[in-house]
Parts: sequence; structure tokens; C-alpha cells
Amino acid sequence: MIIKTINLSKKFGKIWAVRDLNLEIDAGQIFGFLGPNGAGKSTTIRMLMGLVKPSRGTIELFGRDIRQQGAGVYRRIGALVEKPDFYLYLSAWRNLQLLGDLSGGISSQRIAEVLEIVRLSERARDKVKNYSHGMRQRLGIAQALLHDPELIILDEPTSGLDPVGIKEIRDLIVTLARDFGKTIFLSSHLLHEVEQTCTHIAIIDRGMVVVQGEARRLLGASDYFVTEIVVDDVEKALRICHDSQWIKKVEVKDRTLKVQIISADRPNLVKDLVTGGVAVQAVIPRTSLEDYYLSLVQSSDL
Amino acid sequence: MTPFIKTIRWELVKIFSKWRTYIGFGTILILVPLIMVLVRKYGIDIENEALRSFQGAFDYIGSVTNGLLVSYFLMNVLWIHFPFFIVLVAGDIVASEGASGTFRILLTRPLSRFEVITGKFIATYVYTLAIVLFLGLVSVGLGIAIVGGGDLLVFNKGILIFSQGEALPRFLIAYLVASVMQMTVGALAFLFSTWTSNAVGPIIGTYAVIVVSYILSVLQIDALQAIRPYLFVTYFNVFFVPFNVPVPWRMIAVQLGKLGIFILIFYALSVVSFIRKDIKT
Repeated sequence: MIIKTINLSKKFGKIWAVRDLNLEIDAGQIFGFLGPNGAGKSTTIRMLMGLVKPSRGTIELFGRDIRQQGAGVYRRIGALVEKPDFYLYLSAWRNLQLLGDLSGGISSQRIAEVLEIVRLSERARDKVKNYSHGMRQRLGIAQALLHDPELIILDEPTSGLDPVGIKEIRDLIVTLARDFGKTIFLSSHLLHEVEQTCTHIAIIDRGMVVVQGEARRLLGASDYFVTEIVVDDVEKALRICHDSQWIKKVEVKDRTLKVQIISADRPNLVKDLVTGGVAVQAVIPRTSLEDYYLSLVQSSDL
Repeated sequence: MTPFIKTIRWELVKIFSKWRTYIGFGTILILVPLIMVLVRKYGIDIENEALRSFQGAFDYIGSVTNGLLVSYFLMNVLWIHFPFFIVLVAGDIVASEGASGTFRILLTRPLSRFEVITGKFIATYVYTLAIVLFLGLVSVGLGIAIVGGGDLLVFNKGILIFSQGEALPRFLIAYLVASVMQMTVGALAFLFSTWTSNAVGPIIGTYAVIVVSYILSVLQIDALQAIRPYLFVTYFNVFFVPFNVPVPWRMIAVQLGKLGIFILIFYALSVVSFIRKDIKT
């Protein structure tokens, strides 16, 4: 077990930011940690990284209680905690040199390598104060990868990135887990992002786990994954959808089909529509963590 | 190089990469030469002021004003003006990491918080020592270069005359001792810096403590006698002590020891505060 939390809790004043959180993350997983803003995601990550002390409960990293390991355990972990802040008056290269040195010593070659991965090589000598938010975000990912850690904790890693950057980071996350055996703990509030990347997920709200398990199983069961399809002939498309038994639900809104299917079935739907003589103009995945979360809360209330 | 030494090294890199660090050095480089030039031109007025209490007791011929005398007088800035340059850096060194959010990248490295805070504390002392010695070097060096060298007359329970050769080592000792006195101020600002994420608070807080302490230490009220030993400013005059004959080493050691205790207390409180701190920024 790479990460295990047992009744992990944190109280700020009278408010429980995290309450009795039990997580289990195995090696090689891409673990999506989901929740709306203020759910307790960042506080949990801060506790994992020793920035905030738990009010009660236990954190085990790599099978041992974090309190018995000391700071040395962070040699095995790379993290991007919330927004990427750096020493603005130093260059990206100098920032990585500093962080690498404090992580036990990193070669210049490795610094160049991670800067290449996040496409910042050409701006490496610029002071970070001149970087855009997206560039800082990429530098944040670079510093998390710098010392080649076994566990990578990323808090909203695609925030502020352009579509190309988002895809690159998603691909990088998958590659790190699949090809290099890294364990990824990915915090996000974008269910769509998690759906495309994670093998396992946990959803938390108000500091408590709402649901946890294998992503494919949990997300497949959800009614809140909608694919919007823009077509030339809505009525004909609707008939085709009704005939397809694997489509859970379909409705029309503003001349757009809203179809509930898992992402793996999207190509089949497009194929059926095209084969049926419908011109498909756009396929837009729409997912809403809030909706999914509400569905979970509503079902637990019943 | 051990991780701890690396921490100190990088803290120094951070200190000397910020423009605020150079405010003190820049001010010294502008003000000291200006003062020396003014003294060279109007030095007699200062001399008359200094010798007023001795007028009538004896006659003197010529001028006692030289670079060493001006440097000696300049050391008075160490009481209340110069600490500003110390708190500017010491008050910022921890607080700024909280304000800028960089604790999130610094404290997630394989370093204990004790190593981080101690590294910062040592780097603060290195800066303090550097700027105090810089003041000494510029003041004495430019004093001799612009106003001229010669014997140093010190008015301390009478008149003491030191040859230039005797005075220079005493200046060195005085400035080294002053670095400890300044570090007491630095350690207090450092402590305040661990309590907040804004560097302005520690600067104002430290100055408030210094000013209040000075007021309490000079008021001739019997009730205040009892608290004076517990005010660190009581021992701040230690940097003038090397200009006694003979040098009262024991007195210097005792006063430095007392200032050292204050520094240790402020440091220990900083360590405890920092280790217990939740990083929420």
C-alpha cells in the first residue's frame, strides 16, 4: 500500500475540514481525488505532505506511519500542492536547482530533462515572475517530477493550461503510471478529466468520503455523464438512439441530443448515427462532478 | 555538502537575490561617503561639539577630527537606525515564504522543519554579520581615505588617545561585537516572522519592542530598575566597550553572553513555533 489513511481528520477552529477519511491507494494506481471546492481535498494533500498536522488519525506512506519516517519519506514523493508558487526573483532553472539540491542533489541533465518534458526549456533562464500562470503550472509539474519520485501527488495539475497543455499533462500522467510504474494521486474537481485519466477514484465532500473505488465501475454506474451530439436531423438521430439498447437515456434540448453513455461507447454512437444517415457536427462530452455528487447524496438520503 | 549546509547556502542565495537586501548596503554606500565629505568640509563644528565639555579644562591646538573619530561617532547609528536594515531581512525571511506560498515547495522536500528554520536563522546571522562589517569597512576605510587617518580621541570618562594602529583592531572587535547586538534584534524579528505571513508585522513589531525597551531603560524610575536586566537593550552598549583601556574582555564576554541568551530564547521560540505551524497559505 502506497498511501493509507485511517480516520484522518483535521479541525480548523470549530470546523472539521476533513473527517475520518479512510483512503487506500496501491502502487501503480492513478487515483483521482475528487470533490467540490472546499471539500477538503487540499487539506488532505497538505496532511499527506506534512504541511498541516492532522487533528487525529493516521497516515501511512509506503506501509509505514508517517510519524515514524521523518522528512526522509519526501525523497520518494513529488508533489504539486495547490497553485504553483515559486521564488519569483529566481529563474526556473535556479528554482529547480534549489529544489533539486534540497531533495538530495539533482544533476543538471535531469533538470534539463524535466524542463523538456513540460516544454519550458527555452524559457528556463527567465525569472519566474515573467511566467504566465500556465507556465508556472508546468514548472510546478516539473518540480514534482524532478527527483524521480515513486509517488506523485498533483493538485489540479491542468488548471490554467491550454488544451494542448492539458492533453500533454494527461498523457504524461498516464505514461508515468503505465510505463514507469509511478503511483499518481490526482486531485481535481473535473470529473471529465478524472474519467479520462484515473484507474481509481474517491469523491469527498465536507471532509468525508462519499464514494471510493475503481473508476470504471463507479463512473460506468453514474447517470451524470452526458455526451452532447449536434446533428443535422435531430428526429432521426433520436430514433436511432432509442433503438440502441446500450444507451441509458437520451433527450433533446436546444436541438442538441444529450445522451447518457460511458466514454468508451462514444465512437459506437457516432458510428450508428453516421451509418443511419445522420450527419454528426459535434460530439461534446459533458460531465458534472456536482451533479454526480448530488446524485450520490440524494441516493444516500433516500 | 550535507543537506543542512545546502539549506544555509540556498537561504543565502534567496536573501542576496532580493532587492530589499541591498537597501542597507546601498544606504551605507550613499550616506557614509556623504557624511565623510561633509565632515571634511565642516568638521570643526562637530569637533567643537565633541570637545565642548572639555573647554576651559585645557587648551588644544590643531584638529582632532579625522576619519577614525567620525567612524567612531558613526557607530551611534547602531543603536536605533541601523537595526532597520536587519529587521528588513530578518522579518521577511520566514514570513515571505508564507506570503508567497513557497513553503509548499520548500517543506515538501526531505528536510526537517528544524533544518529549514535553523538554516534560515544562520543565514540571517550571516547577512547581519556581513552588513555590520560592511558598515565598519566603509566607515573606517572611507573615513581614513576622505577625512584622513591619525590618532583616535575617545571621550569616555576622560580622554583616551589611540594611535591608528591601536584603533583599527578595536574597531574590528567593536563591529564583531555589534553584529551580535544586531542579531539580537534580528532574532526577535525572526521570531515575529514565524508568527505571520506578512513581513510588515515583524518589522513594526520589532521596532515597537526596541523603542519601548529603550524608553524603559532610560527612565530614571526606581520601579523600572528591576526589569532592566531583562531588557536586551540594556546590553546594547557593548560595542563601545572595546574602546576602553585595557579592553574589559570579561565585561564584553558577560554582556555578549546575556545577548546570546536572548538570541537563543528567540531562536528556540522560533523553532517551536515553526515546527508546530500549519502551512495554510
